[in-house]
Amino acid sequence: MAREIYAYKCRLCDTMHYPFRMVCKNCKQNDFFEFDTVPLPRDGKLLTFTRVYNLPPQYEVPTLGLGIVELENGMRMLGQLDIDEPKAGMAVKGSVEVVREETYDDFYGMVFRSA
Amino acid sequence: MSVDLEKILRPIPAEMAPYEPKYMLLASGEAAVVRAVDRDEIPDLLKHVEPLLHVERDYYDVVAARVYAELLSHYQYRFQDQYVLAVQVDGELAAIVNGRQVTPNLGLSLHTLALRRGLRIGAHAFAAKMEYHFDQLGHDEVLIVAESPIGFRRWMIEYKLEKRFETPHELGGVPSWALTRELFDAARSSLVVGRRPVPPEILEKAKEAILPPSDPPTPALDPLSATRSKYDPTATALMVERWAMEGGMQDA
Amino acid sequence: MRDVYVAGIGITTFTRLEFALSEIASYASMMALKDAGITEVDQVYVANMGAPRVNHQTALASAVVDSLSLTPAGAAAIENGPASGGSAIKAGFQAVASGMDDVVLVVGVERMREVNGLEATDFIATLTHPIAEYIYGVTLPAHAAMFTRLYMDKYGVTERHLAMVGVKNQNAALNNEWAHLQQEISLEGILDSPEAMTNNPYVAEPLRFFDACPVSDGGAAIILVSEEKAKELGRPMIKISGVGQATDTHAVHEREEPTDLLAVRKAAADAFEMAGLTPDDVDVAELHDAFTILEIAESEEVGFFPKGEGHLALERGDTALGGKIPINVGGGLKGRGHPVGATGVAQAWEIVTQLRGDGGDRQVEDASVGFTCNFGGFGNNVVCLTFEKEA
Ligand SMILES: CC(C)(COP(=O)(O)OP(=O)(O)OC[C@H]1O[C@@H](n2cnc3c(N)ncnc32)[C@H](O)[C@@H]1OP(=O)(O)O)[C@@H](O)C(=O)NCCC(=O)NCCS
Ligand SMILES: [Zn+2]
Repeated sequence: MAREIYAYKCRLCDTMHYPFRMVCKNCKQNDFFEFDTVPLPRDGKLLTFTRVYNLPPQYEVPTLGLGIVELENGMRMLGQLDIDEPKAGMAVKGSVEVVREETYDDFYGMVFRSA
Repeated sequence: MSVDLEKILRPIPAEMAPYEPKYMLLASGEAAVVRAVDRDEIPDLLKHVEPLLHVERDYYDVVAARVYAELLSHYQYRFQDQYVLAVQVDGELAAIVNGRQVTPNLGLSLHTLALRRGLRIGAHAFAAKMEYHFDQLGHDEVLIVAESPIGFRRWMIEYKLEKRFETPHELGGVPSWALTRELFDAARSSLVVGRRPVPPEILEKAKEAILPPSDPPTPALDPLSATRSKYDPTATALMVERWAMEGGMQDA
Repeated sequence: MRDVYVAGIGITTFTRLEFALSEIASYASMMALKDAGITEVDQVYVANMGAPRVNHQTALASAVVDSLSLTPAGAAAIENGPASGGSAIKAGFQAVASGMDDVVLVVGVERMREVNGLEATDFIATLTHPIAEYIYGVTLPAHAAMFTRLYMDKYGVTERHLAMVGVKNQNAALNNEWAHLQQEISLEGILDSPEAMTNNPYVAEPLRFFDACPVSDGGAAIILVSEEKAKELGRPMIKISGVGQATDTHAVHEREEPTDLLAVRKAAADAFEMAGLTPDDVDVAELHDAFTILEIAESEEVGFFPKGEGHLALERGDTALGGKIPINVGGGLKGRGHPVGATGVAQAWEIVTQLRGDGGDRQVEDASVGFTCNFGGFGNNVVCLTFEKEA
């Protein structure tokens, strides 16, 4: 099964949220589980980015690319970048991959490459 | 005869190209000189290494103890092919690095000891010795270990060293890492700085005298306090000891 | 609401401190108690972020109140990320203002050098959104770096502006004996010389080593009292006249305008409104310069300068000692150090020192109104305070 990162759509007012929250930001509905999951689109454009040199000890790589991407539906998300020379505004495409490994767990997240 | 015995005990030095001194501007804007230390200057270094034996942070104690032993045995002709470089700022001792040649192709990094903190002087000194190994001694590879987390970050991570865990390092057999010529060339532009030749007046000033470091790392108020606080979180033992030691409460 | 005054202050050196956490807190507290001339309090608030995780100690307030022999006073720890200090002062303020307590000790403390730098970085990173940020390896320098890039593109802030803040604050720390960094730096050494890029390497592009505050241990304490008690103690009358706190989205990418720090804007506006002051009334300010860009951005959001012009004010020297509105004259987080839980209280400590006229070489002339901004998370939880000297 293809892995997805989900946005959460309010059943009352259709507002999309990412990441998950318990109460809708827009209509403040507070019934339980009143969200539908919608996979986040993969295409977007890079808003800002960095390359980090001082990483937490779990990382075996010397540096890590990170960026905030504006997805084609207008939502934004943060992801890892596998791009040698990122440029603000460039088109990128995401894929869901392992972004952090801890002793007993793998964590999946979005890794963006140039589109 | 003792003279003959001394001949047997002394190592026969290999040919080693001399280190060509360089200088660089530090973050403070001051000029730092890196130069090889002559054997007869070793006692001048030793007196500034000795106090660091009692600095129980960042493994200064371990590193200082080893550097002390290495420099002393170098001075007494009991160390094979060791070199010692010093970093001086306005004459003041700011860092010591040493290493040795194992074979004409293989170098071994011994230690890096920064006596002035906060300006990456230790990092500059380490880069200088790597440059010596590759550019002047012509080694293909240098074996390295780290004693401290800050050392690990500076060398293993910043230079992206290769693991050589199967090769025991002379410093207690701990896992070795290696800087290859290829990795060094890759790191050159970002990590290695320095200008040659050193303006004569700057070099003269450095050679004239090794002045004491103005702000060297000092021991914590309590000997062994770092270790002790781990098993005595209430610090009772620590406070009692300090009061006994100083005859009263220390001004925070 | 009753008026609230600061009757005592205390601080430890910010550096690596090889003492137990509760002992660091106690040193700062003892100085503050001594300064106020008291041995009893009604309530203790301990601001701290890392004790359970970094120092393996919980219920820190119980340890501190007992170590100071202040029992049976009430005591509680307040963990609110890097804004723990400001939040604890707010709690103390409310306790006195409400009339419930007359004397409150607020002490901020952190001992994060107990672990190595990489682990300390990870510990701070746990304040980010667990699913949308932390798992990606985001650190605080990374957030600040992405924010900086947007700021550069939008407002023309350059690496030189950032370096200027770094030089200003790190060198200001030379006038503060309690500050962590006691090493002068120069623009030539960190920006212009051929060695500069090696002296000052990237931590998270475009932020460099000297754009970031160091990792420090330390404690700072203040004593909050009612007006009646303040007069009785006879210390200089320094009043906390405004308190503002505001929050923003946990995940940074959810903010509508990513270069805005709305929580800073609102917290500052609320503090000024409560005090009946405007940003122009401020004589000396402590802003949360964990990264150089933050001093520039906060100086705009709190209202000292128009949005997008903080770096121009910096160029003019407005934010230096002797300028229009001196910022971080004691070194700020950059020079003084940033023991996270202690920082908000240390900012208050500096402002009270200034308003009392005890600033020595870093004294801002005739300072009578002070301001602090304690910035938690990456701008998602902010506390601003105004302080006024009464004749
Ligand atoms: C490892 C070593 C050589 C590195 O030296 P270096 O590259 O000169 O490192 P620096 O002194 O510049 O870096 C640390 C200092 O930078 C300063 N610093 C840290 N963060 C800073 C920041 N954000 N802004 C400005 N200064 C900062 C601090 O003063 C810090 O000192 P502190 O830990 O006492 O607070 C040196 O730490 C050392 O001699 N350690 C003991 C021996 C050892 O471990 N040797 C290596 C064995 S492998
Ligand atoms: Zn809704």
